[in-house]
Amino acid sequence: MKTLRDFRVGDTFVLERACDRYRPVYYAAASGDFNPIHIDPEVGRRAGQSGAILQGMCTMAWLADACVRYFEDPGRIRKLKVRFSKPVNVGDVVTFQGRCVAVEGPVVRVEVTARNQAGDEVLKGAVAEGLVV
Amino acid sequence: MPLDPRNVGRKYGPYRYAVGQEKISDFAVAVGGGVPGRVFGGWLPEDLHPWFVDEASGKASPHGSTIAPPTFCVNFAMQPFALACSDPELGIDLVRLLHGEQQFEYFDVIRPGDVLETMGEIVRIESKGSLDFMTVKTTTRSQTGKVVLEGLWTAIVRG
Repeated sequence: MKTLRDFRVGDTFVLERACDRYRPVYYAAASGDFNPIHIDPEVGRRAGQSGAILQGMCTMAWLADACVRYFEDPGRIRKLKVRFSKPVNVGDVVTFQGRCVAVEGPVVRVEVTARNQAGDEVLKGAVAEGLVV
Repeated sequence: MPLDPRNVGRKYGPYRYAVGQEKISDFAVAVGGGVPGRVFGGWLPEDLHPWFVDEASGKASPHGSTIAPPTFCVNFAMQPFALACSDPELGIDLVRLLHGEQQFEYFDVIRPGDVLETMGEIVRIESKGSLDFMTVKTTTRSQTGKVVLEGLWTAIVRG
């Protein structure tokens, strides 16, 4: 496993995740978030979307997965912060690109972008901090 | 009608949640691209972190057991936020509701067998143009009384 000296400003990491047709339903089962906007395309359309939309928290879980790969020990992650800037729809593929922006003592800070296949940002201001001891 | 800022300070909870391995595995599988459950599902996506799902790997890890993925906490820590969003006193139309922002701070890992209690409190209600913002702060304690997680959950309600 990587140690503190293996983390350097400028490190990058990438993760791609697809929102297949049933992903919002699978995520609902795993998370308990059965808000109808994520399950029922009709409710999604009433809310002004093209159909059911993915739970923002699933997008954030993907972001956390990307960070877990970088930090290696999931228990190192101490902070996660995102703004949800655009819904993720069924059929979307989201690419997470992370970059280490600071190493201050044992705290490693990363910034992550998350874009769909059209290049639109689905998250803004996404940051994570890891404590590497 | 804009959200009434007098609701700042409203509290929800505490809510109790007992953490189990099967639920942790289902969560990791669903996020990792697989199908949760043991019926028409349950296979492990490749490249899943073993400490989430494999007891032997977890035992050999620095944590001494399997652990939950960071955002597994939706299973318990989202409850006060969801209840605030559907609280009749606030009168939010769920169709106009969006999850706007999310922040977590972790003070310890969460393991199978933990029994957690989460409290929530509305800490901010603010109107900007036709949008209302409501933030619920949640605090989750383990069975030892230690705070293991704090969350800031922000809803946006479109006017």
